Amino acid sequence: MRKFLAVSTFLALFAWAGFAQGVIKLGATWTLADITGDQGSKAAQLAVDEINKAGGVLGKQLQLVVVDDEGKADKGVAAIEKLVTVDKVDVLLGGMSSAVALGQVPTMKKYGMVVVSTGAASYKVEDALGADATWYFHLHPWDYLQGQSYVDGWAAIQKKYANVKIKKIFLAYEEGAFGKASYDASKALFSGQYQFDGASFKSAALGGGDYTAVLQAAKDYKPDLFIWAGYDADALPLLEQSKAMKFSPPIYVGAPPGWPKDFGSSALANNVMLYGMWSKAINDVSPVSKKFYDGFVSTYKVEPATYFAPLSYSAVYIIADAIKRAGTTEKAALIKALEATKYASPLGETITFGPSKVIAHQGIRGQKILQWRNGRQEVVWPFEVQSAPINYPLPAWK
Amino acid sequence: MIVKRSTVLWSVISLAVAAAILLWKPTVLIYGVQRAGLYAAVAIPMALVLGIVHIVNLSHGELMMVAAYLAYFCATLLGLDPYVALVPVAVVMGLLGFLIYKLTIKHTLHAPELNQLIMTFGIGIALSQGVNLAFTSQTHKLPLSYVSASASIGEVSFGIYDFVFVAAALIIGSSLQLFLTRTRLGKAALAVGQNPRGAAIVGIDVDRTYGIIFAIAVALIGAVGSIFLTKQAIFPDVGGPYTMKSFCLVAMAGVGNITGILYSSLILGLAEAVINGIRGYASWSDIVFFAIIIITILVRSHRERKL
Repeated sequence: MRKFLAVSTFLALFAWAGFAQGVIKLGATWTLADITGDQGSKAAQLAVDEINKAGGVLGKQLQLVVVDDEGKADKGVAAIEKLVTVDKVDVLLGGMSSAVALGQVPTMKKYGMVVVSTGAASYKVEDALGADATWYFHLHPWDYLQGQSYVDGWAAIQKKYANVKIKKIFLAYEEGAFGKASYDASKALFSGQYQFDGASFKSAALGGGDYTAVLQAAKDYKPDLFIWAGYDADALPLLEQSKAMKFSPPIYVGAPPGWPKDFGSSALANNVMLYGMWSKAINDVSPVSKKFYDGFVSTYKVEPATYFAPLSYSAVYIIADAIKRAGTTEKAALIKALEATKYASPLGETITFGPSKVIAHQGIRGQKILQWRNGRQEVVWPFEVQSAPINYPLPAWK
Repeated sequence: MIVKRSTVLWSVISLAVAAAILLWKPTVLIYGVQRAGLYAAVAIPMALVLGIVHIVNLSHGELMMVAAYLAYFCATLLGLDPYVALVPVAVVMGLLGFLIYKLTIKHTLHAPELNQLIMTFGIGIALSQGVNLAFTSQTHKLPLSYVSASASIGEVSFGIYDFVFVAAALIIGSSLQLFLTRTRLGKAALAVGQNPRGAAIVGIDVDRTYGIIFAIAVALIGAVGSIFLTKQAIFPDVGGPYTMKSFCLVAMAGVGNITGILYSSLILGLAEAVINGIRGYASWSDIVFFAIIIITILVRSHRERKL
């Protein structure tokens, strides 16, 4: 009996040691050559390091395994296959491009592993997932949720600031899939309440860069709110050509996925509005944002340039917190724990999961309205995280 | 002086088209000419390489991108305006061009054309991926107040800065013409371009001439890259579309025909501006661009067959 007890104790200790020494693997895919993926993966690693430094999760260290999807659907699929079958990760996360996510959905369905997605705004991804994809937790708002948040935001701003009046909206959109989808979604959302018009242009990112025709059309329309949906390469040249053509609408909004380096240092950027999920200004009202920002800057010696950095950082914390509460990485328990998520994120809002049009687990439900002011993106709406009131109207170009 | 009937006819047609555009939308004519200037300035160095070295340099746009990055860092680190940075950038790019020639182009001159194409395409990929690795895909743009210079005709305001590309194209085109016809090296280059074996027989160092011409072309695209930076945002893939457009312009103008590139650019620039000026048809501009090129090449082939 004594012998049996000794062996049992030894085996129990051995098993505990093995468990304690083990790791929980988080498998992520991002487009690493793109600034969103580059900073997203770095921010996720920062979160992993912070959690490990604080003792890890369930006595185990987290390990982040990142595979580059190269912005291509086929590479994205191969990345998921490798993460699941070779690296044998416990949870999947990451993502940015909707096209890559669309390619990955069948493979994700095949394995049914828990996914916390940081990207994919297209409603097509949601349609492809279907209502029974209960293992899929989507952080980034879907395109229609983003659109609705703009409608709500502008309505709230007009209500709060009596001098802000919007009747006519003009959307200049890049002629590719991204711009066309933005136009269709915006038209459907804004047409009921506002006069709405738009025209396309060829983005500098795709070999264009001449905005004169679209700006002339906008100028002739005399909009109260001018929005352009293109890429970061269009940001400053569009403003420069607007100034050359003396086109200064009361509200000038840019909606690119990211902004060029040092955009804020241009005098023309001042008072330009934008949509986004995070800015450095949120540090003033959110200690979590400040902690994330300070950690990122001290680790990587560069400022977070896109909201994919705090979003990916949040994804890791959400997963770690859920594993902690579930006490395991087992799928059913983890899904249940993720469903109960209440994470005060660096994005200035508490993330919880609830149903969207198709899927059961949608996290963030909209973007923020911000304004460039002296090189800094100030949050104008939602008012709970407002860092500065709107500066309206855009002064005429000098 | 005898003027050809066809020249008169083309001049009359050109003037009539210009007048019609001017009456319809004056800004379309202005923007079309400006756009033509940019296309011509970028394409002329490619025509020089194709005309003399007989290489289609598919890394042409990427070399312009590298030059634009060099100019950007001259501006941000040394405080140089891109127009001042243009000189050192052109020199550095010229040296880079000579190096590329010596290390790669030289060894494929007698190889099948497909090998040459793949090699210069590979150089282009290496350049764009190298810049991507070093500086990420984030775009860079210098905030320069002078690029918003404008003028007004009545109620219509328009940008005038882009005429700088027209000036650049004319300066580069005429300087090259003078270089090729008035200097010893230029004449040697023309001879090498027309008949390398004959040129070698009369004592011209063909290899050295090729190297210098390739270096001059890369230096010129370097200078254009600095000017390009003033107006456009730059990122690792910014040069690719300009390689394609330059190649098409060179094909349309005829191998090594620098004056032809100016005309071709004007036709394509105006055509694009006209299409963009018609509301809802902006996305047709690429189709029109290539349709005009295809028609021109077909007509020229038909004429050459008749001769």
